[in-house]
Amino acid sequence: MPTPYTNGTFPPFWNAMKRIEVRLSVSVVAPLLDVIREMATSLSENLAVPLKIDDLDEVMREAWVEDLQREQNADLEFLLGLFDEEFFRDGAIQLDEKTADRVIRACAAVRLRLRSERLPDIDEAMLESGDVAMNELPESRRNVFLCYIFLATLQELIIQHLDMGETKA
Amino acid sequence: MIRVEARTSAAPELATETETRLAGLWHVIVINDPVNLMSYVVMVLRKIFGFDDAKARKHMLEVHEAGRSIVWSGEREPAEAYANTLHQWHLSAVLERDETD
Repeated sequence: MPTPYTNGTFPPFWNAMKRIEVRLSVSVVAPLLDVIREMATSLSENLAVPLKIDDLDEVMREAWVEDLQREQNADLEFLLGLFDEEFFRDGAIQLDEKTADRVIRACAAVRLRLRSERLPDIDEAMLESGDVAMNELPESRRNVFLCYIFLATLQELIIQHLDMGETKA
Repeated sequence: MIRVEARTSAAPELATETETRLAGLWHVIVINDPVNLMSYVVMVLRKIFGFDDAKARKHMLEVHEAGRSIVWSGEREPAEAYANTLHQWHLSAVLERDETD
């Protein structure tokens, strides 16, 4: 098995059918799953990005919010479903192009929620660069920050390899 | 005998008022957020609007540096559909009517 990156991920690869397999370090990722679950619960009745279109009529607004909430919940459910028994056996998650979209969106929703709910006081530049002094964070927040970084890394990996897939096609 | 009477005279006026309010050119504007990755924003703009990589990057940088970018302009109905899709991808979007006329 190849050596994982320090963030707990392994180099992913595409097969001929445009499926991506991402290998993750179970020991790194497992403690972060509770953070993702907590955020998914928090998002179950809240959109990650509140609707800012003021002049929609009420019926339309309700329909939009309902539809967006349903899609968001489906994405989050799919993301959490990846970390099943099979994942804990070999650390692998497999995606095709459609499910990769779901995972990328779910990662965005969780990261937005983490930022607003659990990391609101961390400087924007520090958060963007990932240059946060982990030792200075209370232990309860280390996993929150690691989760924020992990989900960004997962997004990056998938996006890079989706791009490669498009180039090959 | 029960007599049912329906009055609908206000509806056409309301419809006309709505049509007038929503007529004209509308801009779909993506608003900056401090969370979503640049590569993510580029990918979403390419997917939704069919931009090539250079155009998507140009809009992404405008969002990042100026806080907002007009990514599409046209009639209200498709503008709403684009804004809805941007929200599905967790990008903050607003609609603004073109006031240059």
